[in-house]
Amino acid sequence: MSTTDTPIVYGAEWCGYCNSLRTFLDSLHVSYDYRNVDDKGIEAEMLAKTDGKYLIPTFQSGDTVTQNPDQEKVKEILGMSADTLAEKKETHDVIIVGAGPAALASAIYTTREDIETVLFEKGVIGGLAAITDWVDNYPGFPEGLAGLDLSEGLRKQAERFGADIRLGEVLGIEKSEDLIKLSTTDGDMYAKAVLIATGSDYKRLGIPGEDTYYGRGVHFCATCDGAFYRDKRLVVVGGGNSAVQEAIFLTRFATKIDLLVRSDKMRASEILQHELDKHAEKITVHYNTTTDEIVGENNSVVKVIGTNTKTNKHVTFETDGVFIFIGLKPNTVFLKKSNVKLDDIGMVTTDNELETSMKGVFAAGDVRNGATMQIASATGEGATAALMMRKYLEDLERTTSL
Amino acid sequence: MPKNITIFTTNTCAYCVMVKKWLGSKDLSYEEVNLDTNPERQKESFEMSGQMTVPVTIVTKTDDSREVIVGYNLAKLAPAVS
Repeated sequence: MSTTDTPIVYGAEWCGYCNSLRTFLDSLHVSYDYRNVDDKGIEAEMLAKTDGKYLIPTFQSGDTVTQNPDQEKVKEILGMSADTLAEKKETHDVIIVGAGPAALASAIYTTREDIETVLFEKGVIGGLAAITDWVDNYPGFPEGLAGLDLSEGLRKQAERFGADIRLGEVLGIEKSEDLIKLSTTDGDMYAKAVLIATGSDYKRLGIPGEDTYYGRGVHFCATCDGAFYRDKRLVVVGGGNSAVQEAIFLTRFATKIDLLVRSDKMRASEILQHELDKHAEKITVHYNTTTDEIVGENNSVVKVIGTNTKTNKHVTFETDGVFIFIGLKPNTVFLKKSNVKLDDIGMVTTDNELETSMKGVFAAGDVRNGATMQIASATGEGATAALMMRKYLEDLERTTSL
Repeated sequence: MPKNITIFTTNTCAYCVMVKKWLGSKDLSYEEVNLDTNPERQKESFEMSGQMTVPVTIVTKTDDSREVIVGYNLAKLAPAVS
């Protein structure tokens, strides 16, 4: 389209209808010249085209000039049938759902190969890794590093190669001929290939008091909320790596921590358990202990009631707050109504090439069936998924150009 | 445009980074109160939000009315600063 053919909108900043028209044109991805009638000479220029009639917005496309047109009229003037509108739809080579370690690692690979890539993140860039206090086992960092620093590094590296990280949420996914259509909080979007890397989130206990005191004594993020428990007592629930790692982190603030473990042993790694032993002064581990109720008074948590499953007796732990780390659940609610197959606990199933049951849609990281819930595995799978998507895009190009 | 914005944060909180990043992307300036370096101001944050968590963002509007947003919650942050 030559510049003389570019549609023109005459309007003013104070004119609501003008702004609506501009928003509508943006939504159609129509480029236009905006001329503000409050700027010198513009009003006269407009009046010369409208036989002296002052009404904004005035919209010109080619030889056609119309004033305050409705949306149907605009589409008609632009010669947009439903078909041509469909061609204007926002399409990307790759859309990655999520921006945690798997997603960012994948984006580093795709963008570095000039595959245009958009990421959607509804929470924190870096995902659960970003809210993890300390990552001791990520290869290449002999002293370990803060989860927040690892996330920042991944983000910067992906952005250096041109990854476009958007803060928004993907609400649904479906096949649309050769493309994949995503409904998002930014509107509908299309991609040639999609990577689901939404990871997982901490599970809740589902016990009385947990919702009531959420954020006011019940917490799922030690790095966020630990500082509120300086010189206080805490209960930490769970026996896995997160529970142990975060309990150790919380000793920076709390004077005394009761760690409640449901079974007779921990799932946490040996090395973390050794580390835990060094904090025996502050942390007491209670095995065979279920967590049954969180009790508060005057709007704050005062105790946790549990059961010792060996003696079948109730046990009470006086505390100012509770941190819960009992495992992870996959973030796949947005896939429930889609044709992407999930396993019985809601994780995305893939084949050996990390492709899901929907052609062109891949999955990597904590959300994938078989995931080991390790940051190193997530970044590795992200890289693998990027290479698989590249192959898929090459095949797609070959078949569509036949 | 709001009159001023204050965010209560800690050193280790990733959601705080997100709120600051988002405000930055909207060219909005803010005052940051780091509760790790200013633990004496925890009470203030708790009284305003009723929550023992960060980030807590306090948006003071031109008519001096205040809005308190807990966490990284764009659905609440966006209308509060518009």
